[in-house]
Amino acid sequence: MDIAALSGEIFGFIPLGDIMLYITPFSLFMFAGALIFTFLIAISKTETQVEAEFGSLEDNRISIDLKEFKIRRFLAIICGLATSGAMITGDLFNFTLFVTLIGILNIGIVSAVKIIDVLDSAFQYGLIAMISSMPLFSGAALILGATGTLSILNLAQIQPNPMVYFGSALILIGLLGESGVAPFYATKAEMFRTPGSPFILIIHLSSLLIITRAIEILLIINTF
Amino acid sequence: MKTLAEIWNNLANPKLIPRLFSLTLAIILLIGLFIPMNLNDNQLYVRPEIQEQINENNSLAPYDRGGIPLIEDAYVKAQYPNNSQNLGKITSYLTPLALLVKDNTIYFGTSICASPGGILDEILYYTRGFDTILESSILMMAFVIASWLGLNFTMRRED
Repeated sequence: MDIAALSGEIFGFIPLGDIMLYITPFSLFMFAGALIFTFLIAISKTETQVEAEFGSLEDNRISIDLKEFKIRRFLAIICGLATSGAMITGDLFNFTLFVTLIGILNIGIVSAVKIIDVLDSAFQYGLIAMISSMPLFSGAALILGATGTLSILNLAQIQPNPMVYFGSALILIGLLGESGVAPFYATKAEMFRTPGSPFILIIHLSSLLIITRAIEILLIINTF
Repeated sequence: MKTLAEIWNNLANPKLIPRLFSLTLAIILLIGLFIPMNLNDNQLYVRPEIQEQINENNSLAPYDRGGIPLIEDAYVKAQYPNNSQNLGKITSYLTPLALLVKDNTIYFGTSICASPGGILDEILYYTRGFDTILESSILMMAFVIASWLGLNFTMRRED
């Protein structure tokens, strides 16, 4: 499909060799949104979870110590930057690399908590993230084999064949696993039950933006 | 016999999710066996014919792209030639150590010496350089997480 028909007129290009980043109103909006959110979490402090204690009037406060705060903030900022990069990338393989980077960082952000349930589900999510790197990269490789190019600008002008459809299906299942969408949601939902709110939210935001962008890319590649 | 509601309920158990995911992936991969697959001949990142360079006893096989550094361009294609105008100039450069290995054996291309200093792959470092940056940052983030956990959870464990 013509890129201009789906995501609006192309404003410009950022040439990085064969990897040509292109900016459309759609991608620019999500890019700026991810950057603004990253800035907001970079300057914010973590929440303190307050739990009412049973049988008394006391409160139980779960707060985060400074060390854990620092590593989480660092990983959350990198995750935000990776998300914004994935929004404007114009290359299929580049996109899958960004998605994998986000998957690793999502595990990292929750890996420092001391709640066993959360760690258990983070482990299960890690398994899915590891498995899904296989369909992601092999899907990109199949599309490269079928069309001879990886640039989305060029793929938009190529008539798709069954091999491209299958490659896209592989990329889609990889993305579903990596971003934890509908049937595979349970692991990620459990991961959110940890103190340290603004940094946890980047996990949510990144998967939301990634899946939106992925649908755009897959539509561009698979329709003619 | 499980009711539909019980099956839906099981989706909320994180332990079952990797199994469900791998099952779904396996089904899709099995469907893939029936998809007609053939390589498009018009490839951007070209490879020589399989075994062609090896049969020629080329010691750089399978990575020989020809060319002389700074004099004759090697055979490397780019998607957008305007973005990488110096492409192919240094692909054939070999370090003195690599030259030594290349002159003494015919297995240079398949040995560890071929990567990364031995044969400069300009696809990896020039036209698709941004991918290489991202790949190494994935690795770096994995090490950051692992070393932080190792230092703070394994070595200085209080509770």
